[in-house]
Amino acid sequence: MATTSDSGEIEGFGQVSRTVGTVFRYLLLAATMFGIVMLGVLLLYVANDAIRPLTADPGWYLVFLLALVVPSAAVGWTVRRRDSEAFNFGTLLVGMLVVSLMFSGGVALLVIDVVPPLVALAYAIGIAVPVGLSVLLTGQAHRISFTPRLAATTALFYLSLFGLPGPVGGALGVPQVVPSLVGAIQSIPVIPVDWMMIAAVVGGGSAAAVGAYAAGIGDRTTGLYAATAAFAATLVAGALGPAVGLGAVPAVVVTAVAFVPTGAYAWRGGFAEEGSPLGLVFAATVVGGALVGALAVDALGFAGPASWVDWGFLTSAHSGTAENAGLYPAIGGSILLMATVAALSFPLGVGAAVYLEEYAPDNALTRFVDVNISNLAGVPSVVYGLLGLGVFVTYLGQSAGTVLVGGATLALLILPIVIISSREAIRSVPSDMRQASYGMGATRWQTVKNVVLPEAFPGILTGTILALGRAIGETAPLIMIGAPNVVFNLPDTLGSKVSAMPLQVYAWSGLFASEDFYTKAVPAGVVVLLAVLLAMNSVAIVLRNKFERTG
Amino acid sequence: MSTDDLATDISKQTENSPRELLTRTFFFLCAGLSIVTTISIVVLLVTEAAKFFTITAPLMGVTGETASLVDFLTGTTWQINSGEFGVLTLVSATVMITLGSAVIAIPLGVATAIYLSEYASKRARSVLKPALEILAGVPTVVYGFFALIYITPALSVVFPSIGTFNMLSASVVVGVMIIPMVASISEDAMSAVPDELRQAGYGMGATKFDVATGIVVPAALSGIFSSFILALSRAIGETMAVTIAAGSRAQFLNPLNPASFLEGSLPMTAAMVQLLLGDITGGGLAYRSLFAIGLVLFVITLIMNVISDFVAQRYREEY
Repeated sequence: MATTSDSGEIEGFGQVSRTVGTVFRYLLLAATMFGIVMLGVLLLYVANDAIRPLTADPGWYLVFLLALVVPSAAVGWTVRRRDSEAFNFGTLLVGMLVVSLMFSGGVALLVIDVVPPLVALAYAIGIAVPVGLSVLLTGQAHRISFTPRLAATTALFYLSLFGLPGPVGGALGVPQVVPSLVGAIQSIPVIPVDWMMIAAVVGGGSAAAVGAYAAGIGDRTTGLYAATAAFAATLVAGALGPAVGLGAVPAVVVTAVAFVPTGAYAWRGGFAEEGSPLGLVFAATVVGGALVGALAVDALGFAGPASWVDWGFLTSAHSGTAENAGLYPAIGGSILLMATVAALSFPLGVGAAVYLEEYAPDNALTRFVDVNISNLAGVPSVVYGLLGLGVFVTYLGQSAGTVLVGGATLALLILPIVIISSREAIRSVPSDMRQASYGMGATRWQTVKNVVLPEAFPGILTGTILALGRAIGETAPLIMIGAPNVVFNLPDTLGSKVSAMPLQVYAWSGLFASEDFYTKAVPAGVVVLLAVLLAMNSVAIVLRNKFERTG
Repeated sequence: MSTDDLATDISKQTENSPRELLTRTFFFLCAGLSIVTTISIVVLLVTEAAKFFTITAPLMGVTGETASLVDFLTGTTWQINSGEFGVLTLVSATVMITLGSAVIAIPLGVATAIYLSEYASKRARSVLKPALEILAGVPTVVYGFFALIYITPALSVVFPSIGTFNMLSASVVVGVMIIPMVASISEDAMSAVPDELRQAGYGMGATKFDVATGIVVPAALSGIFSSFILALSRAIGETMAVTIAAGSRAQFLNPLNPASFLEGSLPMTAAMVQLLLGDITGGGLAYRSLFAIGLVLFVITLIMNVISDFVAQRYREEY
């Protein structure tokens, strides 16, 4: 084929023109760049509309140039030349701080406006106690066989969450005899201060995670010290919070969710073995520069850009005028929806992937499920919306537009994606490892639990986060299930009406269509939505790069 | 796990011990959920759509307003208030979006795939591929807003008669959105072409251009075609971008007349969103028409997915 084409004739041999090839190559490059450049230009436009960088004082730019950009570039360049690993670590650390601050904003929103602190505390204890007890039970596995242990664990959870006889008894008309642990905690006469309860729940969780992380690096003592230090930091933040004008509750949440994990990572990368303090220097320059810059512009009175994405936009509800319209209920709605979607799609998707990869016999049914899943991935999202409307709302009688219905619909939507990516992650676990496990006499479940899932976990997590990123941008299914366009309050139960960020953006650009909304509220909403997506995707990509199987 | 535990486990745990049965059942149910989902979609769409049509409604035991199946499939007016449900109006708009986005996505996507698989250095690939992924990752509602606010005004410089809502800007953004799909599936197909074929081409004195267009592309053709079909099926199901950018007035347009791209109409997906935003009571005629459109949409996309699968399997060159 190739030899008969115009440049390949025998008489032309040796004088092949390179023009066609060169032109073709650059045409291809131009085609590749077309979409990327176009999106880039559009993003610049929307960012310009939303953040309005030209409205800032020139002095503001000058201060940040001197305090942040120049020192960071200088230090970054030096560090990178001496040790590129350290530079990467420093960049990652700064990125982690930014992302975890965003995340802590979400958690703060939850604990302040959605879940009352006492309820959160009650459920945290009510779940922690049976979990602890069942871990103890599992330790006795050689004495007690599986079935009684399962029964005991179930009973513990039931008792702790519902008490005796609980909802089962309630259905039969038997009055409550033993209160549940959760109920008992909620009815205690002395109610501790809000921020202390939140510190116990959020700080406790974060301290436990940090402790486990530190124990993984050092030994148990290190872990214990790290956990204690983390919890102490949270408490100190709660006590000092009001003094710096942040309020105790936000201070506790930000410390526990953002500063403590970032600090643990910094400690590990900077001081523990194979650490690179140079990276810490770089990160400190960036963060310090930003802080100094912010303080300096404040002191010197330089106005920053009059951005539409400001504190008011993030913390107020929809309004008829574009200047006052905010995204707060939509942000909260998106967070709750994502939590529901993750809780539903993660176990179901991973379970299906495990079945198909580890258990399924090679028969017609399996092949059908296989084809079926790839077809489901191609079903338009609006049809999933119809499924939610028809099944959950009309047949099952749920009220339209609630967190539960929206979350379940979106979970079904991303389930095929979660299954497909989890299968890929599970498939990439070398079969030698499975064979070794079976060779030691492990059963299938033991192999899955101890070998396959831990090995595949980073891949599964990456796939799930990317799928959640897809779900957070979906609008059509939410419209289909009747989510309201305008919500003024955060949903506080699974049964309350919910809005979401993309839905709010749609409402502003479709229903409140006016020049004002087009140039103010919608660009701001788009920028926030894209920032959240960017954060989620970069977490997924960092995870993927960190745990990518080498070899 | 200590050896003690292991020994106990080996003696106690067999493939049919309670724990194994429990976990296996759970995993099986998870996998089964996908079939339940499919069945629910099909049953729901078919039963609700059946209640919509005059012919099938008595079978469903539905009395009251219904619509004629023939009018639905052949009518060219979509006016819910006057009870005219001509789905061709919506289909024509969807076809326009599909054609328009194909004109953009197919050449650009294939060119991108050739560049990535044949020309790009490893470094360039590592930058370009994630950048392309971003194109597919931006929420479609954002694309719709871009089309309405930035692209339509830009296009009005070239086409002064363009409407605020028009098919052209919607087609452009949907086209851009599906480029990564065409590119990544085509590129996979091209990368799967064995290197020997390329080396043989070079050995016979072919240039890189000859090898790329004369050897790699023909060898990967089945994958490239299946990427087209998948991407177009995605364009058909695309909802928010066309809802925001293409407008809300349903009118029958000739998809092959380029001038009609300057006008707005109502693709199937946008019609569904519009129906939902109106006052819909469960069980009404408008509510059921939603499922009738949904059924048409589902059947079209399903057929396209199946064809794409078939093309990829049937015409794959085996090496």
